[in-house]
Amino acid sequence: MKKYEMNRWLLILVAVFMITLPTGGFAKVYKLGLSLAITGPTSDAGNPYSKGVEDYFNYVNDTGVLGDDTIDCTIRDDQYKNDITKRNFEEFLDDGIVFYLNYSTGSTLALKKDFEEEKMPVIPASFHAGNLVDSNYIFLPIASYSAQAIGLAEYVVKNNKGDMPKVAMFIHPSAFGRGPLEDVQKAVGAGLQIEIVEVVEHGKDLDNTAMLKRLISKGVRYVISQTVQSPVATMLKDASSLGLIASTFGEEGKLTFLGCHYTGGNDLVALAGDAAENFYWTTSYVITNEPGPGTDAQLALAKRYGRDEKAANSHNYANGMMVAQVATEVIRRAKAKDKEITKETLYQELLGMNGDNAFQPETTVGPVTFSPTDKAGVDTLQLYVVKDGGFQSAGKPFIPEYTAKIK
Amino acid sequence: MSANRWLSTGNYFTSYKEEQRIFATHLDRSVLLCFLAVLFAWPLLFEVSNKQMFVIDNIMIAMIAVVGLNLVTGFAGLISIGHAAFVGIGAYTIASFARLLGDTHMVLTHGWPALIVLAGFMGALFGAIAGLPAFRLKHLYLAIATLSFQMIFQWTINFMDFFDQGQTISVGRVFWVTGRVGRSDHYLFWYYVILVIIVLVGFGVRNLLRTKYGRCLVAVRDNDRAADAMGMHPGLTKVYAFALAGFLAGVAGALHAYLYRGVGIESFTLHHSINYLAMAIVGGLGTLSGSFWGPLAIKVLDMQVERLSEWTGGHLAVATNLATALKPLSFGLIIVLFLMFEPRGIANWWRIVRSYVKLWPFRY
Repeated sequence: MKKYEMNRWLLILVAVFMITLPTGGFAKVYKLGLSLAITGPTSDAGNPYSKGVEDYFNYVNDTGVLGDDTIDCTIRDDQYKNDITKRNFEEFLDDGIVFYLNYSTGSTLALKKDFEEEKMPVIPASFHAGNLVDSNYIFLPIASYSAQAIGLAEYVVKNNKGDMPKVAMFIHPSAFGRGPLEDVQKAVGAGLQIEIVEVVEHGKDLDNTAMLKRLISKGVRYVISQTVQSPVATMLKDASSLGLIASTFGEEGKLTFLGCHYTGGNDLVALAGDAAENFYWTTSYVITNEPGPGTDAQLALAKRYGRDEKAANSHNYANGMMVAQVATEVIRRAKAKDKEITKETLYQELLGMNGDNAFQPETTVGPVTFSPTDKAGVDTLQLYVVKDGGFQSAGKPFIPEYTAKIK
Repeated sequence: MSANRWLSTGNYFTSYKEEQRIFATHLDRSVLLCFLAVLFAWPLLFEVSNKQMFVIDNIMIAMIAVVGLNLVTGFAGLISIGHAAFVGIGAYTIASFARLLGDTHMVLTHGWPALIVLAGFMGALFGAIAGLPAFRLKHLYLAIATLSFQMIFQWTINFMDFFDQGQTISVGRVFWVTGRVGRSDHYLFWYYVILVIIVLVGFGVRNLLRTKYGRCLVAVRDNDRAADAMGMHPGLTKVYAFALAGFLAGVAGALHAYLYRGVGIESFTLHHSINYLAMAIVGGLGTLSGSFWGPLAIKVLDMQVERLSEWTGGHLAVATNLATALKPLSFGLIIVLFLMFEPRGIANWWRIVRSYVKLWPFRY
């Protein structure tokens, strides 16, 4: 009888133990890494970007998007320096990350060999097409700078009145600026009807008067910029004070300014003020000036984690949020297939993200598609223009035609 | 000379030869040998992460470069604001081979010891060329000449397609007798290579300073007219100081290229030249030990400030600009403080500690 009692108590104890055993005991933690410029050059973009990543992963963990599993994404500041990015990446490798988020063009190119060697799936914040050359593991979140610049050039061709449009390219003095220029020149070679009259590699000029006067004297009507916001803002302010900004698209004797992803956004309006009016800008992200599910999602996330208005409305916050969404999605898909979460399985999930499996984050104007031959996520672009101190859509989302022609 | 060569407590030199000994006592030699043994053995005894080893390797490469800078600025008294360009010459020597032959060509992956030496000679050549104005220029004017070399170097790399306009040029993994040095051993392997080079450089420079060539440097620094009157050629001595500095910088550059497995202009800018100068000042100009203390102090300080900046930038959104400014601010402050309160650098603290230990338990 005593033995029976003992067994009964033992059974009860085991049952209680089984019931109270936290299900989280089997929860897994997936390690990711992000190195970017939270301080230093380009931190105006990097700072909201890091917040977008951080907030989305917090949201994933807080709301159980991956069940009991969580994502542990270490975010490190690299001050826009390749040396520090390399050190951060080594730290992440020591930690055993399965997915890496990088930032600048320079560091992405510098670490390309490491990514190949480590077979590490990487999504950088740089959309430089050269990142994809001789690389298997780098995935651009949206259309490349080249596609963006070509898309702007195509828009110029379609909307220009008169002879072949004369265009100047205003670019950053680095691969980030020069790469798209080469591709636009290829598109011209393939039949895109624009004339590139001058290429300006800007320095740290505080005044662009002479350059703008020169462009006008050469008959330039459109300036396509591939750089960051501050030099564009300086140029716009100078153009404004000279009365050279076109009030309508392609106005004769004036300049119409256009720019790729990192030239625009609310920060440009803040920097250039009224001079930003009529600036045309393209990106694959939706912006919070316009209502929609993407805007709602972005603002709700920012509100949930107490971000200020500036960060909440930044397209770079959306940018960071979106790469975190993609990383989460591939983990979710691999988990759904009962696969072990490794670099290799996540890489395969990225490659399979196309067709019916394309991923639609709400913060972009088109679906994210990757395949072994297509490593640029969102192929669709949206043109925005500054009206009354804020960006608003100009036309429908589009895919540049010449991007495929020059491949 | 002291009767006891183990525990000498004063100066008992009876000849110049004795005074020029590398080790004053057997104890000095033994301590250094033990220290070197520890440096060689510790990575085998403790587990070190790749990141930590990467940081250590970086500090050691900076030490080699700063030994060179100390020769030209500390010992010869010539301010060089273009030292990073000489380091870059070494790195781009390796990158040139990578561009010409491919980054995994045998010459690069198997012939790396020869290429490191070659990079040193390229650094020496460009150092000598950049030092030519020393025949006619002195003080600040010469400093500006070195600054212009730095600018020319950066401009050339940034605009030449051959150098990929300053973007990173990859360098393949090297081979050792055990085969290809993979990622797991990469930083440890280069730790030993750099350590061996540091030991050779340390003894080499220490010996150089005992020779007439080394003393020429100091003589020209102290009074070049007096040196001239005594039969030395100040101009040639200065050029040769630049060449020596260039050689060590070139070696450091080659090591940098192999350690990072790539070369980009970003690592050889004016900012880096100022950084090397700061390391030499903080370590102690005109001292060999200062060349080791300076890089260690500045790099460790850099990393701590980076952490603080990261924290500030991440947690105080409004303070991003302040966080960005923390690094240059602390960097400038440390140089000013050292120049004001300890112009002889950390090497002087080291000298004080050694003197204290030497006399202990007596006060004097």
